[in-house]
Amino acid sequence: MKTPEVHIKATNLAKSVKVSDGSLTILHDISLTINRAETVAIVGASGSGKSTLLSLLAGLDTPSAGEVYLAGHPLHALSEDQRAAIRAADVGFVFQSFLLLPSLTALENVTLPAELAGDKQARQRGLTLLQQVGLADRADFYPAQLSGGEQQRVAIARAFITNPAVLFADEPSANLDAATGQKIEDLLFCLNADKGTTLVLVTHNDELAQRCQRQCRMQAGRFVGAEGVIADVG
Amino acid sequence: MWASIAWRLFWRELKRGELWVIAFALFLAVASVISLSGITQGVKSALMQRSAQFNAADIVLRSSQPFDDSVLSLAQQYNLTTARQMQFDSMLFAADNMQLSTIKAVSDSYPLRGELILRNSSDVTNGNLASLTRGHVFIEARLFDLLGVVPGQQIELGMSQLIVAGVIVNEPDAPLSVFGGAPRVIMHLDDVPATQIVQPGSRIGYRYLFAGDSAQLSRFETDMTARMTPHQRWQKMDAESAIGSALERAERFLLLAGLLGIVLAACAAAVAAGRYSQRHTQSVAVIKALGATTAQIRLLYGSHLFLVVLFSLLIGAVAGQVAIEAANWGIAQFLPDYRAQFSWRPLGLGILTCLICALLFAARPMWRLSKTAAIDVLKQPALSLGLDKLQLIAGAAAIWSLMWLFSGEFTLSLGLFVLCALFAGLLMAVAALLVRMAKPVAAGQSSARRLALANLRRRLWANSFQLITFSLAIFLALLLYFLRAELIGQWQRQIPVGAPNQFLVNITEQQRLQLDQFALTHQLQLDNYYPVVRGRLMSINDEQLLQEASKEDRSDQRVGVGRELNLTWLSALPDNNQVVSGNWFGAEATGQVSVEAELAERLALMLGDELAFSIGGQQLSATISSIRKVDWNSLQPNFYMILSPDLLASFPATYITAFYLDAERGIVLNQLARLMPTVTVISVDNIIKQVNDIIEQVTVALSFILLIICLAAVLVLVAQVQATLEQREQELAILRTLGAQYAFLRNALVLEFALLGLMAGSFATILAELMLLIVQQRVFNLPFQLHYNLWLLGPLLGVLVVTVLGWWQLKRLLRIPGAELMRKVLQG
Repeated sequence: MKTPEVHIKATNLAKSVKVSDGSLTILHDISLTINRAETVAIVGASGSGKSTLLSLLAGLDTPSAGEVYLAGHPLHALSEDQRAAIRAADVGFVFQSFLLLPSLTALENVTLPAELAGDKQARQRGLTLLQQVGLADRADFYPAQLSGGEQQRVAIARAFITNPAVLFADEPSANLDAATGQKIEDLLFCLNADKGTTLVLVTHNDELAQRCQRQCRMQAGRFVGAEGVIADVG
Repeated sequence: MWASIAWRLFWRELKRGELWVIAFALFLAVASVISLSGITQGVKSALMQRSAQFNAADIVLRSSQPFDDSVLSLAQQYNLTTARQMQFDSMLFAADNMQLSTIKAVSDSYPLRGELILRNSSDVTNGNLASLTRGHVFIEARLFDLLGVVPGQQIELGMSQLIVAGVIVNEPDAPLSVFGGAPRVIMHLDDVPATQIVQPGSRIGYRYLFAGDSAQLSRFETDMTARMTPHQRWQKMDAESAIGSALERAERFLLLAGLLGIVLAACAAAVAAGRYSQRHTQSVAVIKALGATTAQIRLLYGSHLFLVVLFSLLIGAVAGQVAIEAANWGIAQFLPDYRAQFSWRPLGLGILTCLICALLFAARPMWRLSKTAAIDVLKQPALSLGLDKLQLIAGAAAIWSLMWLFSGEFTLSLGLFVLCALFAGLLMAVAALLVRMAKPVAAGQSSARRLALANLRRRLWANSFQLITFSLAIFLALLLYFLRAELIGQWQRQIPVGAPNQFLVNITEQQRLQLDQFALTHQLQLDNYYPVVRGRLMSINDEQLLQEASKEDRSDQRVGVGRELNLTWLSALPDNNQVVSGNWFGAEATGQVSVEAELAERLALMLGDELAFSIGGQQLSATISSIRKVDWNSLQPNFYMILSPDLLASFPATYITAFYLDAERGIVLNQLARLMPTVTVISVDNIIKQVNDIIEQVTVALSFILLIICLAAVLVLVAQVQATLEQREQELAILRTLGAQYAFLRNALVLEFALLGLMAGSFATILAELMLLIVQQRVFNLPFQLHYNLWLLGPLLGVLVVTVLGWWQLKRLLRIPGAELMRKVLQG
């Protein structure tokens, strides 16, 4: 049997923030290994530190202590711009509040990461992706003209435009009603399976977490159970 | 690729109305700077062209030394046309008569501007038009009687005999003064050597006249100024004349208005730039999370901003140029021969203003924007409206450099800037104090009032900048409004309707009765008779005065006036005179004299000094008992020396009086000239008409500028309210969700803005009154008076404008259903 390739590896990650009377540690000693094409859910209540962990794994932020590697790149030791270059090449995001640029159309929002990377085929690829998420007829709509579900579908298309090796999704269905949320989740998992992307999903929804191969539960900035192993969720 | 994204961002935001505050702020900065400097230049050049007619040239160089060919050849290098003239006082002889006259000897090309009208008769209304030739002189009408000559007869001037060819009807550069001085004579410059009047030490004024293209003139003026000898100086338009001072004040007003306009436009740009950067924080975080580097963000948003700047610059430049053209058209309505000259300066200033505003105001927020961390994509972006120190410094530097650039006056721009900065500091302190006081006040209020006060408190602490800009905007608009009213009022007072426009000089005691009779017959309202005795100031406190001041004279002797003075005696202080030190002598006083303030300063005269005069060979002395300030702008007889009646009453005097005559009744003047040929009639109708025209012209310009300033002030207010929109959306969403009713929220909102407006209006009023005091005294030389209506208008305006603008912009938010508002806020 072929040994799975390690895609993300975090060792003894910690994150502290300054507060008025000293510092507050929001992540304690987190270690985690995620293999290529694996789907992992980070589960926990609000304030448990799951979004902070996502920001460290995706290279949006740097840890106060510990190491984190993404596709072999030591994110903890790289500058903001070096991490940006890695994000541009390897990472896709889907956010809870969609975060589309209000001045750009659906298609332009989708193609933005590809355009920033200098991709000449961005438009064609964007149209294909919009078709895949069922919004081909909304290509020229602005975010304000789209429903919440449609906006999130645009965001998913945007996440896949650069063919990222890893996709980080932060509560992708939390801002949507149950039925729309369900559709979005289906779309996300479907596209993910289709493209063989590693998926790191942050959610407080156990049902959604269950759709991932592995679940890591967080509480007060720590993993509950052994580090980086499959936690017993549910 | 980034250029295409930048273009799309720009175009979409422009279409969606996201950019209009910053674009309009920059547009206003460009348009107002271009139009203000262009219109100032236009009005100035129109008045210069008009004043050129009074100078007989565009510019005049005066010298006490004989003509220097190098000056004329330098002027030729600049393609200027030139003329020369000499002026001196000399005695004219005709048979047994003699008369001291002012002789003007002119070259062929005289005058370069305006019109010299000569007739070959002794009557200004009859005879054929004539021109000056060698061997001939033209004389002022009264000289015919004084010398007892008729046209064609000879007179003697120095060693020459010249033929009287006729009368001077109009001499463009004759003195505008009501006292014409000695009668005037015009002769040809080539005839001067033969008279042998020019001897070493003779008191002769040499003038070089130049005319031509204004750019060439200005280059020549600079070049010539560098070569000037101590004996040469430029003849500036007489600042004491009514036109000169009206022009000077208008220019200063325009300059001041321009500076204030820049301050406002810059404030609007600063607020808009802050808001711009705030609005884009989350977008930048998203783009960064998607993999953009800081350099890419700078490129993207730099080019986005560049497009905004370019857009504002283009439409601002077009609007500014249109305003200039409109103003030029307006000026041409008043001055048919006005030649508008295109200049790149306003355009250049406008472009520079826009670039400085954009760079110094937007660069810092842009820099901060590019530094937005990618992690912010997961956070609620902090809403901060405060300015950081660097932006404050950059903004202040921008405002000051713009002011300096625009005015070219270091001290004025620095002074005004420091005052505005002090004002801002003071407001910050007062705002902090009021906010502290507001808390206990809020405790006993209704809930809407409590909410308004709480909102005000919180926002004031965080953004006292908002109160400062509101106050500054209202303050500047008020200041300008009152200054404009002040200026126009002053001008109108200067020349009231029906003010005397015909002055009669050289009236003898015997002619007074005859003149009274004439006035009665023709229903003329004669002014007072002012007696005039000509005398020379000989000594001060027994120290003999040097009569002819010259630069070469290095002796320690005190210098006198250098000419005969018109002395008068009066027992009552004339209307337009104000005693600045000492006391006005009463009817019973003896041996006293009152001296005009500027002359007193020039001659270093003090109260109690003993002055000795020589009048027709007789000596008399008087003690200075008062020093007077005289309004030289008033078209009334003004005197340097007024003596107590006991001193002069026994001397043979001539009289001056004046009356108002309708333009249609000009024939009365001819009848008067025939009845009393030795009386000189000086008509100031033209001066009055010109001053009125200028006032009308400048009033239109001032109103236009006031409009621009008010627009800028409103823009600042709008930009400020807009900047708080997001924060207010959040708060409203929360309050609506908590069940706040529409009426409650509306009352709280209106009250908040009304209170803010009241505070801003009150601060603005206090500052405007203080500033008016300074500007009136320092800039316009006007007496200070309290502006009672300002104290009502200022706070009222603050409440009304701020409330209406706040309500107008925020009422939309109140109408959005709570759920939609919440969704909008949650979605960012």
